[in-house]
Amino acid sequence: MAIAPERPRIDPALLRGGDVYEGTRIPSPVPTILEVSDEIRATGDVLQVNFGPNHPSTHGVLRLIVDLTGEEVVGLKAVIGYLHTGFEKTMEQKTWWKAITYPERIDYVAYQNNELVFVLAIEKLLAIEVPPKATWMRMLLCELNRIHSHLVYLGTSALEIGAISMFWYCFRERDLILDLFEMVTGYRMHTRYFQTGGLAEDIPIGFYPEARKFVDWMPQAIDDYEGLLARNAIWLERTRGIGLLSADDAIALGQTGPNLRASGVDWDLRRREPYLFYDQVDFRVPVYPNGDVYDRYRVRVDEMRESTRIVEQCLDRLEDMEGEPWIADDRKVVLPPREELHTSMESLIHHFKIVTEGYRVPAGEIYVPIESPRGEQGCYVVSDGGPKPWRVKFRAPSFVALEATATTMHDALVADLIAIVGSLDSVMGDTDR
Amino acid sequence: MGAVEGEAGRAPRIGRKMKTERLLWPGKGPSAFERELGPEELERMVGLTTLDKAVGWAQSSSIWPDTFGLACCAIEMMAIVSSRYDIARFGAEVFRSSPRQADLLIVSGRVSHKMAAPLRQIYDQMLEPKWVIAMGACASSAGMFNNYAVLQGVDKIVPVDVYVPGCPPRPEGLIEGIVRLQERIKAGVPHAYEWREVAT
Amino acid sequence: MARGRDLSYDDVPGLIRTTEAYGETTLVVDVAQLLEACSYLRDERGFNFLADITPTDYLGWPSSDVSGYIGTPGGRDINDPMTQGLQALPEEKPARFSVNYHLLALRSEPARVRVQVWIDDGVAVPSVIELWPTADWHEREAWDMMGIPVEGHPNLSRILMDDDWEGHPLRKDYPIGGEPVRFSSAE
Repeated sequence: MAIAPERPRIDPALLRGGDVYEGTRIPSPVPTILEVSDEIRATGDVLQVNFGPNHPSTHGVLRLIVDLTGEEVVGLKAVIGYLHTGFEKTMEQKTWWKAITYPERIDYVAYQNNELVFVLAIEKLLAIEVPPKATWMRMLLCELNRIHSHLVYLGTSALEIGAISMFWYCFRERDLILDLFEMVTGYRMHTRYFQTGGLAEDIPIGFYPEARKFVDWMPQAIDDYEGLLARNAIWLERTRGIGLLSADDAIALGQTGPNLRASGVDWDLRRREPYLFYDQVDFRVPVYPNGDVYDRYRVRVDEMRESTRIVEQCLDRLEDMEGEPWIADDRKVVLPPREELHTSMESLIHHFKIVTEGYRVPAGEIYVPIESPRGEQGCYVVSDGGPKPWRVKFRAPSFVALEATATTMHDALVADLIAIVGSLDSVMGDTDR
Repeated sequence: MGAVEGEAGRAPRIGRKMKTERLLWPGKGPSAFERELGPEELERMVGLTTLDKAVGWAQSSSIWPDTFGLACCAIEMMAIVSSRYDIARFGAEVFRSSPRQADLLIVSGRVSHKMAAPLRQIYDQMLEPKWVIAMGACASSAGMFNNYAVLQGVDKIVPVDVYVPGCPPRPEGLIEGIVRLQERIKAGVPHAYEWREVAT
Repeated sequence: MARGRDLSYDDVPGLIRTTEAYGETTLVVDVAQLLEACSYLRDERGFNFLADITPTDYLGWPSSDVSGYIGTPGGRDINDPMTQGLQALPEEKPARFSVNYHLLALRSEPARVRVQVWIDDGVAVPSVIELWPTADWHEREAWDMMGIPVEGHPNLSRILMDDDWEGHPLRKDYPIGGEPVRFSSAE
């Protein structure tokens, strides 16, 4: 069955370039499998290689079955599922409160964004109001997490392409961010800090000066990274013009996030469908026109800069909010403060009910999308009114990003394969859930 | 001390009473091996100690892990290579991609049933002597994932020497696991495949 | 391409009913006319982006833990801690499975809509891969996890589970699996 090429053109108001090649390069009949053409197969020179699930540069357990003639990739098929953990079914067995622990492990590099999307979905179904201090802090942590995710991307992609020292520089800053997380939440990764209705604990004293130090240092660190790579002849040679994806193909393949913005489409959910308080902060959305690996790299580095600015603006607001509540007041959903348990019988009963049975979320279904560092992370929740979720589905941006592997491998060499898979920045936990 | 002493050249076998310093864990601190031999003494004594001890010291100080990062623990495993938690001080900096060249398999992350077969293949491709660290709760016992998709503990298919708890364990925790493994090797504790009941 | 806010979806072919809740629009569409509805939405109304395809199994809906009506006609008032709120029993579902297509109109005035079809066990949904190639893996996942056959898909095979896996794990009659754990409060 042929893929209909008469797809609607994208709204020109959103395009900044993106006409990278003529027509479409999405393979047909299966859009995600690049088939070896018959002429090439007739030459008898095709070697099928398995970039197995255990490979240093497949970013986790991705398996690529690649057909090669010499160094050229002529056929490609991605096999996923090696990290399938059954999150969705497991979350159906746990109460809403306990289920919040699970989404973090899905996209394990941008973990707080996953937590955020699930918690936002529950709060929307509950129609509960989150105090502004909690929202600002959530925004701050999610932007720090965005920087963290892009640092891991940059460190590992550069390592694979051969710029090995980038790994150490990026992880040095990553450790600074994880120190901030540890200060606030008690743990480096998988922090479980967001609670239905706000945050689990108040922001500790001493966090703001440390965060300021980080914000003051980070722009210089990003300058260091750009100094190493942005005009490096080898880096340019290995990433310019590689892995092309036009704007129309990107939309047809469901790409979002930096992959889409590097193909010239100005689409960022923080700007277009703002959630939290993104409409009250000032930041730029980087969009680059060429749709290659180099532009995806530039989008992510620029996003790190913008995220640092957002963190700074959040800090400005938060420093004025000392003493304000960090979680909602609704005792049916939120645990009462412990001092109250000594004096109020109703608080004791509420505490007991919430801890043993769990709070109940009214029946309904909802889909909440946010802009995670990889793209549109969406959470579809169906509740039947009980204490456990009925269905939870995470729209995983990495799952969709890997659908673009076949399209971007047009005229690619084996070395480019590594660069392209790295630039799509997919996390296998997010892909396989 | 254990049965290792005085039996030059022979690897301890299953069934012998082993007393290893770390297994009994009277308290944290340098192992008996290190207390017994300071760095200056080693030079003097290497001609006198058993071949086992010298071999164990050499093996533990240059243990090469295999790149087997599966999930979240892999990010913390990458952190131990980074400059703050430098694993190069312990000799384990060189992460080999090929299992033929590695002697330590750090299973970092949840192992789904689909991945169990490649995991066992990688383990089989490693050459003896080899060790396995189950890093994190998911590798030790499937962690929070008691379901159809996750292998309930990687020790169902590979014999594990050291379990490192945590979700994910701090890089210091993994370094502690590697250091304990190094002490086990130096003390002459047999490899897990010699005495665990998993098919080896 | 329609401009401005899409206020009414009444001319979507095969539309059975429209629901609005939490700021979202859900269009329940007859499965036999799903392809026409999706082409109409993509070509006439500008929904050029398919975000997600989610199948849901409603076997045993609602669960036994759901309580019925408790509360006051005025609903819940958090300033008056004794009011518990109006919680009606969740409504009956028309069939066992619902397949939800989350569409996004990616343009300067964005819009989202959910197209929902209700099918029973064994009934196939047509593939929308011709309209949105991204549906390829989403539909494979729907088949793999929920056992929803997709008609016209060029490569309908298991994607997340092993190729020879039996059963569809996300169905409600598929056991959670795992090991029995002592002293655990979870069932």
